Amino acid sequence: MTRFQSIITRIVVLHVVAIAATSILMPLALYWLLNQAANNLHRDALRSEAFIIGSFLRPQSDGSLSMDMPKEIRPLYSSDYGLYSYAVLDTDGHVLFSSQPDGKALFVSDESALNDWFIRRRSSGSELFGVTVARPVGEKMYYIQVGQDLAHRDVIIDDVVTSFLPHVAWITFPILLLLLLIDILIFRRALEPVREASKTAAAIGPRRTDVRLPEQTMPTEIQPLVHAVNLALERLEGGFRAQRDFTADMAHELRTPLAIVRARVDTLEPGPVRDALRADLVNMTRTVNQVLDIAELEAFIVATDAKADLHAVCADAVAFMAPLAVELSKTIALTGDSSPVWVRGQAEALFRAVRNLIENAIRHTPTGTSIEVEVTKEGIVRVMDDGPGVPAGDRESIFRRFWRRDREKPEGRGLGLAIVARVAEAHDGSVAVANRPEGGAVFTLKLRPA
Amino acid sequence: MRVLIVEDNPDLVSLLIKGLAHGGFAADSVATVEDARHVLATMKYAAIVLDLGLPDEDGLVLLREMRRRSDATPVLVLTARDGVTDRVTGLREGADDYLAKPFAMEELVARLQALLRRPGNLLGRMLTFGNVSLDTEGRQVFVDGKPRAFPARETAVLELLLRRGGNVAPKRLFEDHLFGLSGDVGSNAVEVYVHRLRKMLADAGASVKIHTVRGVGYLMSEEKG
Repeated sequence: MTRFQSIITRIVVLHVVAIAATSILMPLALYWLLNQAANNLHRDALRSEAFIIGSFLRPQSDGSLSMDMPKEIRPLYSSDYGLYSYAVLDTDGHVLFSSQPDGKALFVSDESALNDWFIRRRSSGSELFGVTVARPVGEKMYYIQVGQDLAHRDVIIDDVVTSFLPHVAWITFPILLLLLLIDILIFRRALEPVREASKTAAAIGPRRTDVRLPEQTMPTEIQPLVHAVNLALERLEGGFRAQRDFTADMAHELRTPLAIVRARVDTLEPGPVRDALRADLVNMTRTVNQVLDIAELEAFIVATDAKADLHAVCADAVAFMAPLAVELSKTIALTGDSSPVWVRGQAEALFRAVRNLIENAIRHTPTGTSIEVEVTKEGIVRVMDDGPGVPAGDRESIFRRFWRRDREKPEGRGLGLAIVARVAEAHDGSVAVANRPEGGAVFTLKLRPA
Repeated sequence: MRVLIVEDNPDLVSLLIKGLAHGGFAADSVATVEDARHVLATMKYAAIVLDLGLPDEDGLVLLREMRRRSDATPVLVLTARDGVTDRVTGLREGADDYLAKPFAMEELVARLQALLRRPGNLLGRMLTFGNVSLDTEGRQVFVDGKPRAFPARETAVLELLLRRGGNVAPKRLFEDHLFGLSGDVGSNAVEVYVHRLRKMLADAGASVKIHTVRGVGYLMSEEKG
């Protein structure tokens, strides 16, 4: 069901269809009922008229019939007035008395039509509505027909019926429309908790997995869904927690033994063996730290509102790496604008990225060269060195984990640049390497300005 | 000078006690936050070396409790956790310093000494790097054990560098320290004093060298050989 995703839209559409059907059917039904009632009323009136006429009939001794209509009633049936007409028939269908000038029956009568009503179209175009009533007079049965000209100005009952339809239609439609509006309001109100829950759910992310949707305020129909979502969140949080715990445990399990070894080595007598062991431990520690960084950065998400001063981050990284640079007889400098450069990101992660770029530059350039870290207002860090540069064919693969140009040679780039690439990715930024025209490599880390 | 080690690994604890003894510290040790609470209730230590990954509770809980009851004992946090988000948390909770495992014993001793040397803590008036020393109270510089007469501002520059050990001292720090009161700082004023200090140290036969980290600050290194 992709046509109408919104419940409200579905309700509106179905409601409009229902309104269309109802606004046609309801007036028709009402019209039919009203017409029926009007006809019954009409018929009853005419029937009592027929009984009155019946009471004027007198049986004669010769078996014939006489009619004695009071003077004051006669004008009612006169053709001048034209409203009412009557005819009295015997059971054979012979007309005995008639108000018609031509002396004919009002309707062709038979037994089955008794007590029922008729409509006859007259030659003049008007309609004659009438009833036939059987009346015993003396020993014989007679049929008394009474009719009324519907076109006469004194007949209003069917005018009421006829004018009913357009009026009712005009009232029905707005009322149904109003009902639709009320329904929409009711549904919006009923769905309010769902809307609220959606807002809560929007806050859920890898950094905020403790959020749960409110279940009590939910409509009963939606509660199972919300409950299921909450259970899914529970499992998700468990997964994230396990991942974080694992990284933390791994850090503890790896670094504590290293700390013990380091402390033991420090207790040894000074000498070449101790120095060599220390150097080995430094390398080992570096690799362990990088592996742990990569593991943590795998599941690392930058908070959407995180902001960092890229200039401060680079100053920290340069200061952090300066002792190593000095030790290896290299100079290092921070250039570019010295005012804060705010970028979207987490300072510690960015620090590690810049630190790794500097470390890479320090480790892959000859003694006596210089390294320059430049920060621009646009949120770009350039780490430039005077080394041999990076061959065009290696500029992508250099950011891969444990990449080394020559498998035979022990020298590898390790994980440093992979960490930089991962931090750049997590910040929706980029990192690339090129060779400088004057020689040496330039690593460019681009971030998004805050 | 007595310090408390809060660490659960017995091997590391015995090595730490040995190492700290070598650096002039006597150390007691406990393995849990609960034990640390008991000990701290009755004993006063010059400093605490606090591991974060303890068996009963997080070491940061203890740190937070101490700071809440205004216990200002210097705390050096020692941890295997050095994740992207950990360092920041540790220091924000009120740790005075932070050392990630594994660490060099000399580094730990140096950091502890630095903590105790902070204002309000009386440990050694002498700052030393290579063959250069400074008596922070007498304002007397010694090179290779011989007293040298350095002007006040050059001595101040030297003090900042000595306090940072072999790490970078930010340029901003020199500006604040040297010209904090007079206010007006020429763009290369600090560089002028550093230059003069360099020459004085070289003339005096110092084994240390001052390096400029352009755009960031200065650091001192010990020349080998």
